Amino acid sequence: MSHLNIAVIIKLEPDFSEGNVSYNPDGTLNRAETKNTLGPHSAIAAHAAFFGRVMYDAKVSIATMGPPIADLALQQAQQISDAEELHLYSDRLFAGADTLGTAEVLRVGIEKMQEKMDIVFSGHRASDGETGQTGPQTAWKLGFTFLGNVISYNVDVETRMVRAKRLISLQGLPNIIEEVEAPLPVFISIDPTYKSSYNTVSQRLAFQKYKKEAIQLSDNFKDYLKIFNAKELGVDETLVGLPGSPTIVYKVERVPKSTATRQAEVIDGSDPEQISKVVKKMKEALSAMVIK
Amino acid sequence: MAIIGGGSAGLAALKQLSHLGKQAILLEAGSKVGSKNLSGGILYSKKPKKGNVSNVEQLYENFLDDAPIERKITKYILHSTSQNKIYSMDLTTAHDYQANFGCSVLLNKLNSWFAVQAEEAAKKLGGGIIPGVHVKSINWNEQNDATIIQTDELDEFEVKAIIAADGVNSEVAETVGARKKFTPEQLYQGVKVIVKLPEDIINKRFGVSSDEGAAHLFAGDVTLNHIGGGFLYTNSDTLSVGAVYHFDSQISNPTEPYNLIDVLLKNPLISEFIKDDVPIKPKIDKNLPQEEQLRIRFAVAKLIKTWYEIREASLSSIGRDRLLKSGKYKTVEDIQKRLSAIQEQMTEKFGLTFGTDYLEDEYGAKLVPDGKRCRMRKPYFKNILFVGDAAGRGVFVGPRIEGLNVGIDDGVRAANAVAQALDKNDFSENSLGENYSKSVDESPFTTDMKEIDKDYLKIFLDAAKDVPKDIIGSRYGPILKMMSSGTMRGIAVKFANILGYDKLLPMIESEDTYVRVPIQLAERLGEPVLSSYSPTIPSIADRIANLNYNDDHLSHIKVLNPTSEYIKKMVTLCPAKCYTEESGKVIIQHEGCVDCGTCSQETEWKHPRGEKGIHYKYG
Ligand SMILES: Cc1cc2nc3c(=O)[nH]c(=O)nc-3n(C[C@H](O)[C@H](O)[C@H](O)COP(=O)(O)OP(=O)(O)OC[C@H]3O[C@@H](n4cnc5c(N)ncnc54)[C@H](O)[C@@H]3O)c2cc1C
Ligand code: SF4
Repeated sequence: MSHLNIAVIIKLEPDFSEGNVSYNPDGTLNRAETKNTLGPHSAIAAHAAFFGRVMYDAKVSIATMGPPIADLALQQAQQISDAEELHLYSDRLFAGADTLGTAEVLRVGIEKMQEKMDIVFSGHRASDGETGQTGPQTAWKLGFTFLGNVISYNVDVETRMVRAKRLISLQGLPNIIEEVEAPLPVFISIDPTYKSSYNTVSQRLAFQKYKKEAIQLSDNFKDYLKIFNAKELGVDETLVGLPGSPTIVYKVERVPKSTATRQAEVIDGSDPEQISKVVKKMKEALSAMVIK
Repeated sequence: MAIIGGGSAGLAALKQLSHLGKQAILLEAGSKVGSKNLSGGILYSKKPKKGNVSNVEQLYENFLDDAPIERKITKYILHSTSQNKIYSMDLTTAHDYQANFGCSVLLNKLNSWFAVQAEEAAKKLGGGIIPGVHVKSINWNEQNDATIIQTDELDEFEVKAIIAADGVNSEVAETVGARKKFTPEQLYQGVKVIVKLPEDIINKRFGVSSDEGAAHLFAGDVTLNHIGGGFLYTNSDTLSVGAVYHFDSQISNPTEPYNLIDVLLKNPLISEFIKDDVPIKPKIDKNLPQEEQLRIRFAVAKLIKTWYEIREASLSSIGRDRLLKSGKYKTVEDIQKRLSAIQEQMTEKFGLTFGTDYLEDEYGAKLVPDGKRCRMRKPYFKNILFVGDAAGRGVFVGPRIEGLNVGIDDGVRAANAVAQALDKNDFSENSLGENYSKSVDESPFTTDMKEIDKDYLKIFLDAAKDVPKDIIGSRYGPILKMMSSGTMRGIAVKFANILGYDKLLPMIESEDTYVRVPIQLAERLGEPVLSSYSPTIPSIADRIANLNYNDDHLSHIKVLNPTSEYIKKMVTLCPAKCYTEESGKVIIQHEGCVDCGTCSQETEWKHPRGEKGIHYKYG
């Protein structure tokens, strides 16, 4: 069986779960005392990588960009995914990077990993103010096919094809699930609803085995950890950090609640003509959606 | 080869099969092994006069050094109660009878440890443990002789043989038709709470060292006229307080199981055993702004948590070592100082006071099979062998309460039989089933379920020798007299066993034994015990709210006839208060169910799907 290499990009985020958030006397969030943890979407991406570990005996590597304490997120992700390689890209120079700057660091990092990657996973988006572009941008920089909102996947290791289900939510329409196929390498952004399923006895046994291994590895996660600064990573300094980040955030505002633009029409269910009108409208709406 | 159910019995089977070099998998419905198991419980290691049993320390070589047992029980005392009067009898000799040891255990911890040992061995052979899987049916394909297991979670798969260790409410036994559901006469209902109490306090209060422990049993008015009794066992830093009653006695005179526990907790002796210093939350001034009230509530909760953590550690040898090793404290005095500082802060800043009360940390309930009345005479069906509670094999004789060790012994016997069958490639009832059945029949535990042991009986007669004969009453008087002479006792027991244990049981296990005589004893010979406080007992709603569940929107229990007499009794008898009656009809809300099985008699009853339902922290 030819081998499969999987990378996951993750993020350290403030832990918003109960008991871990700390507030200042004035009621505002106390950042210094609030604990940090592996972001929930990153955790889901790590679970997706672990699926590859269990099903295809894949080798998993994890990368994150952040301050030195982000090694905690790597440890947590290793515990989920049984990764053998942990990368932390940490440099003052990276501070203030927007998604494009981050994507550049991650690209260089991923290309520096021991193996050539077949699949790179990222979470849907971070919960602390990220816009969800890091994934697509990293994919673009790597030159990998991008598959977004993936809710399940499997790989044919022989033909090196990945088959994935994507959840597509279009406003005002019921969700649809699209099944796509792409040759490796691919970049997969995992949907928040993703859940690995292990349906046979041997898959469950493999799951147990690797899970145990993951816990053991993560107890000594420092043995697997490599920390790179900008120089060690060899990134082009003009492409990362503030200088490499064209986005300027000058104000963050709440989106005003939009007033409904849809118009409702009342249909008399007992009139066949009216019903066929509805069917026609539905057909139009469906044909407007691009489905492979 | 598959084992269904990861309680002590199933795990023993997996360990033994692996020891014999046979590959096996174990399927457990709980999300983690141990999370669905509940016991009293004292785990015994026995040395019977006749025959052999497999004890826990033989099966798990490192048991005595490494297993997370609580305490070795060195005192065993029976108390007869009548209001505040208590008459105590030391039955340590009965506890020691034919025993290597008996230790208090908490099943979540213990079964998790068994699982690690068993799985390590199983993995080397390609087997292992699969948690979170609920077996729903077993089918036989007549054409190719295949046995197929269907679960709620996995694709169906084939096995050569099955060991069913799925507990007292065995769905396997029922769905394949190996036995009917156990009836109320064949069962006990058990309820239990875990009370937190620091290690040092336990040592002092019960007069034991850190690795020793005490067991206290209760009969008399605390039974509220039910046949059975209460128990209190010391664990490392908790107490197990519970009640086990004949289920038919509960059916004929229903009492809320939680009330049976509450009566025990309110008995002055038990109140004194469980008491501790507890922080009493201050009333927060409702006139303060909302945020301020919230802030105070958070701060108080956090302080109380820290206080408990440090206090608990400071009152235990391991805890103190841990705190000192952490480097935060240099000496034990430092820890004390820190504790006093927190206490001061609690009082001065937030007006928190300290009082005497007790702290309950888990409530649970389960049915227990009475092996004397319900053990399967033929503990197999086709290529399925039944072990432990699933086979109805608990030894309950007087104060003797043994299910764990019997299940472990059964597990080993079943594994041996399966290993032989694998070698011969013969899984027929005549070979596999009969082999196992024979082995089980030879088990000293089976003998103990069938006959009175005169030496065991003598222990009680000796303990009761100072009791005035008229208390024992006309019913027992002549028997006692006869039994107290050595030669006569031998003859009498022989005669009794010829008459049949079954016929004697209703006489031995009667209200006289569990209620009337103990009350008389307490009233006539007992000493008054006073308690300095009355415990604040949580309501059943609070108890349920404090448990961990993984809720399933699908109900695993369906009421068959909402107006039947039996189901109406469930309104009282369900330990989780899942049943209510509305305009003559009984309805169930399954969300708080603790899978005890009490209502299974007249419902379509299944265990919840994999990972769903109750998850005990202690068990
Ligand atoms: C209050 C109380 C006090 C007791 N005191 C003592 C004592 O002091 N000493 C003593 O020795 N014994 C005592 N017992 C009895 C003892 O606890 C039991 O005999 C023992 O725990 C039974 O073990 P088991 O492995 O047979 O079954 P269980 O521990 O019930 O295990 C069955 C397992 O099977 C799983 N399961 C069930 N159905 C399925 C399915 N369809 N698919 C997959 N998995 C399934 C369950 O989740 C569970 O984990 C006491 C019991 C109670 C309730
Ligand atoms: S619903 Fe039935 S099984 Fe569940 S706790 Fe109540 S009596 Fe027990």
